[in-house]
Amino acid sequence: MSSAPLISVKNLSKHFRTFKRREGILGGLVNLFHRDYQTLKAVENVNFEIAQGEMVGYIGPNGAGKSTTIKMLTGILVPTSGEIFSNGFVPFRQRADYVKTIGVVFGQRTQLWWDIAVIESFKLLRRIYDVSQRDFDARMELFDQVLALRDFLHTPVRKLSLGQRMRCDLAAALLHNPPILFLDEPTIGLDVVAKDHIRQFLKVINAQYKTTILLTTHDLDDIEELCRRIMIIDRGTLLFDGPLAGLKERLLRTKQIKFILRDGEQAPRLAAFEKSLAAYPANGALRLERLDELTCRIIFDRKLISSADLIRQILAAVEVRDFLIEDEPIEEIIKRIYAGEDPGGGIPVPAAQP
Amino acid sequence: MRNFFSQFRRHALLLGDYFAQYTKVRVSYRGDFFVALFTSLSGTVFQFFFYWFLLKRVDFPHWRKEELFFLWGFALIPFGVFNVLSLNLYEFGSIYIMEGKFDRVLLRPLSSLFQVLFESFRIESLHEVVTGLVILIWASRHLGYHWTLLDVALLAFFGLCGGVIYISVFLFLTTFSFWFEDRIGLHPPFWNLLAFGRYPLSIYSSYIRFLLSWIIPFGFATFYPSVRLLGRPEFRSYAALVPLVAAASFAVAAFSWRIGLRRYSSTGS
Repeated sequence: MSSAPLISVKNLSKHFRTFKRREGILGGLVNLFHRDYQTLKAVENVNFEIAQGEMVGYIGPNGAGKSTTIKMLTGILVPTSGEIFSNGFVPFRQRADYVKTIGVVFGQRTQLWWDIAVIESFKLLRRIYDVSQRDFDARMELFDQVLALRDFLHTPVRKLSLGQRMRCDLAAALLHNPPILFLDEPTIGLDVVAKDHIRQFLKVINAQYKTTILLTTHDLDDIEELCRRIMIIDRGTLLFDGPLAGLKERLLRTKQIKFILRDGEQAPRLAAFEKSLAAYPANGALRLERLDELTCRIIFDRKLISSADLIRQILAAVEVRDFLIEDEPIEEIIKRIYAGEDPGGGIPVPAAQP
Repeated sequence: MRNFFSQFRRHALLLGDYFAQYTKVRVSYRGDFFVALFTSLSGTVFQFFFYWFLLKRVDFPHWRKEELFFLWGFALIPFGVFNVLSLNLYEFGSIYIMEGKFDRVLLRPLSSLFQVLFESFRIESLHEVVTGLVILIWASRHLGYHWTLLDVALLAFFGLCGGVIYISVFLFLTTFSFWFEDRIGLHPPFWNLLAFGRYPLSIYSSYIRFLLSWIIPFGFATFYPSVRLLGRPEFRSYAALVPLVAAASFAVAAFSWRIGLRRYSSTGS
């Protein structure tokens, strides 16, 4: 990276002291007087840097430490140890000044005033963030173009659909044109069209304003469509930080070929083909599944078997109407990383302990 | 220091915006607002009749009935101010802390205390201020009290200080939500103590008087200012302490808020 990073995180840790709750009324009473504390390492020695204009996907299973990291980056939580510099601020120490320069969207929670028209929320936010009327109008214009807000600007927030509400929340988070945007599950619960709206909007904002975006998500399509770089966290530790393409290249193990038979008369030929596959040299590196009467799927190890070979064999054995070749879904790769497979590569995680 | 004043000015201007925003919320549920106003009004009316019957039966030595009504009317003013602003204090523990609304508060470039105090208002409680003034004026006419400009200014000032004292006490109780998860809060018993301020402190035992003056200073919100406005001889000099007590109460509450805030940001719960 040539210029200084916009966000830099060094040896960041957050430990919580929790206690085991006893159940029942009696247990509750005991809780009042005696607690067995234990330390939960929500985030442990995490390091990364994010440059201006990057869109980074931050993923991990539930309870992995994503939200805790975001809360520290936004100044809500104070780290147990380690450093954060973001946009020139130490977030928790200069909270009021810092939050003027960031936008935050929590997918599960709205920051809009629930009972009144959306536009009223925007107007008050304009005042809170000291946005001039001219900038406000210009940004609303742009937001409206991509997010099509106009139709429901005068609807009370409680009457909006989840997708509409999320579009409004995004606009609200960006009214003051912050250089950094944090998104926690921005597409959770949305339908395909609404997800697409949100993704398009993020692309536009990123391109037009060079807004740096860090987003957590469970939907890996978000990542594939938006982020060139991903960070994977599990049990508080960063497992991977690097380009998505590299991760796929390294960890992609299987591919699959889906094919549709021309007609039902292919059945005996298919059975014969299935038998012949059992004798295939790379035994166990391949398996055939029947999805329905006419559709089959072959999942195979891409390092041992070439897809061209396989296709040639299929065509020789049966009459096929259509083909589809796919990589192993990214979900499967991530699942394997959670399960303990070494993702390798990426930016090496420095183990520097002070 | 300059920064402090510009921040103060910014927040003062935004107070108007916050009030307008909440008013819009309330207006959007008109029926609800009128029901709330009716409930609140009838509460005051019941209280009035209770007080009236009480004064018919019971004699307070050295106090004229009109003076007692004056005290009661005055007590309604800080009480109304307090009620208008205290709505969120009762729900702070459950809504802001337990349901997580407080995270959003911390993401706005404003004082967190400002946001919690001014995100909602019990607008209908403004009627208590009005009712209090009406009774006050009625009582002072019967007492032959002549209002000078200074008296009017003092009345407004004392009323405001009283409101600050009430809010500070309850705010202080609210800050415990940073440490303890509980949905009911510590407020109810203290809420009952507010009623003590409607009667002359001098009728209570010295313990209660001490408690209501120096531990939970409700006496400085109602009784001591009233004595000064009525021109009665007892505790005259105490009125001068009213603004100090108000400032000190608020300082204690705000300090506790700060510590609570620090705890919140280290535990996040």
